[in-house]
Amino acid sequence: MERQIINKRKRVFSLQPNKNPKALFARRYVSHLVPALKKINMKKSSSKTNHPSFEKTVKHEVDMAFALSAQEFAWSRFLLQKLLSSVHDDPVRTSSSPSEILERSSKKQGGGKHQDRDEEEGGEIKKRLKELQKLLPGGEEMNMEEILSEIGSYIVCLELQMIVLKSIVQDNIS
Amino acid sequence: MDLSVLDRLKWLQQQQMVSPEFLQILGSDGREELKRVESYLGNNNDELQSFRHFPEFGPDYDTTDGCISRTSSFQMEPVKNSGHNRAISLQNKRKPEGKTEKREKKKIKAEDETESSMKGKTNMSNTETSSEIQKPDYIHVRARRGEATDRHSLAERARREKISKKMKCLQDIVPGCNKVTGKAGMLDEIINYVQSLQQQVEFLSMKLSVINPELECHIDDLSAKQFQAYFTGLPEADSKQSIMADFRSFPLHQQGSIDYSVLNGTVTISLCSKDQTSSSWETHSQCLYNNSRTDSVSNFFSLK
Repeated sequence: MERQIINKRKRVFSLQPNKNPKALFARRYVSHLVPALKKINMKKSSSKTNHPSFEKTVKHEVDMAFALSAQEFAWSRFLLQKLLSSVHDDPVRTSSSPSEILERSSKKQGGGKHQDRDEEEGGEIKKRLKELQKLLPGGEEMNMEEILSEIGSYIVCLELQMIVLKSIVQDNIS
Repeated sequence: MDLSVLDRLKWLQQQQMVSPEFLQILGSDGREELKRVESYLGNNNDELQSFRHFPEFGPDYDTTDGCISRTSSFQMEPVKNSGHNRAISLQNKRKPEGKTEKREKKKIKAEDETESSMKGKTNMSNTETSSEIQKPDYIHVRARRGEATDRHSLAERARREKISKKMKCLQDIVPGCNKVTGKAGMLDEIINYVQSLQQQVEFLSMKLSVINPELECHIDDLSAKQFQAYFTGLPEADSKQSIMADFRSFPLHQQGSIDYSVLNGTVTISLCSKDQTSSSWETHSQCLYNNSRTDSVSNFFSLK
C-alpha cells in the first residue's frame, strides 16, 4: 500500500510536467517568488526597515510573481502594468469590501414589479459585471465576453497561488 | 461528437488531391460562379480549393437545403432533392418545403471592407462551411422555426450562446454555482469567490511577511516539499483551520464527489468523513491537482 502511494505520487509529477499548465504555473510562481523573498530578507537584515513597508514589499513581490507566472492571459499583463507603475505609490488594494455584496443582494430582494423584472435583471447583471470588472485587473477595458473568459483563468491562478503560499507558510511554521 | 478541427483539416487536405470532377458537373457556369464566390471572399484561394472538393462525397454526403451542417460531420441527413444536389448547392437555392428547420449561416468577418458586400449574401452556405473550417472566426448560427432570421437577431443569439457557454465553464470552476440558477446569481457567486480568494492571498502574504525572517532555511527544499506536505498533510487538516478561521463564515459548497484517484484510500476516507466548512476549502484546493477539472481549466490554458 505504501509503495502504491509513492508510485501514485510519483506518477503525478513525472508525467510531462511541462505540459501540465497548473504545474507549470505553480513552478513558475515558486521560482519567481522565492528569490524575491530571499532578496527582501537580505535587504531587511542589512537595513532596518519599518514593518508596514515590509509588508507592502512582500505583497508587492507576491503580486509580481503572480503576474509573471501567468503571462498567457490578458489580466496578467494589466496587473503587471499596474504593479510596475505603482512601485513607489501605495500598493493597489485588490479586494473590495464585502458590505457591497450585502447591499446588492438586499436591493434585489427589495424587488421590483413584475413588468420591470427583465429590466431589473438586466440592470442587476450589469451591476454585477461592473463589480467583476473592478475585481479583475484590466477589467475596465474589457467587454462582457472577455471578462467571462479571463475570469476563469484568473480564478484558477488565484487558487494555485493560494496553494503555493499556504505550503510556503506551512513549511516555515512547522 | 463531430470531428475535431484538426481531423477535418486533414480530411480536407486529403480531398485536395482528388481531381475536380465537380467542376464538370457545373459546367462553365460553375466556373464563373466559383469566380464570383472567390471575389466575395477576397483572394482566399485555399478556401475555395477545399470548397471545390467538398461535395466530392456526393453519394455519401448528402446535404439538406444546400447547406452542409456544421454539427454533423459525416452524418448525412436525407435529402429531398438528391438528384441535383451538387449543382443546386452551388447556386444557393433553398428548398424549405416540408422541413422543420431552416438553416441559415451567417458570416461575421473582422474586416470591414467585405462586410457590405456580404450583407446580402447569407445564402453562401457551402463556402461558409468550408471556410469555417479554416477560418474559425465565422460564426454559424442555426435559426429555428419561427425565430427571426435577420442578421441582428442572429448575432444576438450567437453572442448569447457564447456567453452562456462561458458561464457554464465558470460553473465548473467556482464551487457552489450548481445550486444557483440564472446569470445574476452566478455572477454573485463568482464575485464572492474572487473576493474571498483575493482576501486569502492578502492574508497569506501578510503571514508570510511575519514569518519571513526564518524563511531562508526552508526555501531550497520548497518545490519538492510543497507537494509532499500538501498530500501528506491532509490528515492534519485540523491544524489548518487556524488559517481558514477568517473564512469560515463564508458560505461554502460541500464537495460531494471528488476524484481522488491520485491520493491513497485512507486519506480519501478521512477527508470524506469530515464535514466541516474549512475542510471543504481544503478538499476543493486538493481538486486542483487532480484531473477531474482539467476540461474546464484546459480551455483557459490552451489560449496559447
